Amino acid sequence: MHKNKTLNIDNQISNLEQVAAFLEELGEEWELSVSQVLSLNLVLEEALSNIILYGFEDNNQHSIEINFKMEGDQLTVSLIDDGQPYDPTLKDDPDTTLSAEERPVGGLGIFLIKKIMDNVEYERKSNKNFLVLTKNMK
Amino acid sequence: MNVLVSKSDDYALVSVEGRVDTTNAGELEKSLLEVIEGGSTKIILDCSGLNYISSSGLRVFLVIQKKMMTSKGQFRLCSLQPGIKEIFDISGFSSIFKVFPDKEAAIKG
Repeated sequence: MHKNKTLNIDNQISNLEQVAAFLEELGEEWELSVSQVLSLNLVLEEALSNIILYGFEDNNQHSIEINFKMEGDQLTVSLIDDGQPYDPTLKDDPDTTLSAEERPVGGLGIFLIKKIMDNVEYERKSNKNFLVLTKNMK
Repeated sequence: MNVLVSKSDDYALVSVEGRVDTTNAGELEKSLLEVIEGGSTKIILDCSGLNYISSSGLRVFLVIQKKMMTSKGQFRLCSLQPGIKEIFDISGFSSIFKVFPDKEAAIKG
């Protein structure tokens, strides 16, 4: 069975609330568990806040497209933006064994995305960033 | 997000409820820094009502932990919901914070 849904947001941090509300609805429609919805919310917040806060050099309004696709138990979330080229898959994972004193502040966002999702792929096409995240929801 | 602060002779109890995310993590940081500046050397953060945290919130937790360690103070967390505990485990935060099952245990230490 195939299901699709799309959300477009502008590059404003305050729109993360809209994303959370959208995911609540999606979760009900696609019968996802509360913890699955929260995990997805976390993944999207991390990916979108990176794009919104660091992706654009101008002060213009940009639209970010988020596509959700469910094929059987396989969820694919694609984020498409026209910001600076940025491949999050190249970022080194933080050392999670360090003590509090040694631990640098920050740098956890992309790591959380990689840990929660099964697969993270990046592609730059037609001057746009395509971030494709997949997870088996069974 | 709601942040409630109550102080007793021995400790400050801070309860955080709802969602801590990119849009409001700064407010939590400000509240906790105010508690530190107010002279509290033992802070208990009650997370029983916390149902969502992103990396911006984790960043605040780590900033406060570092500050409290530098000043030889104590920062204790309690009552993490399972979803939050999972994020702590993934991030390696479970081993860098003192996490207690409930408020009473956190007060006792």
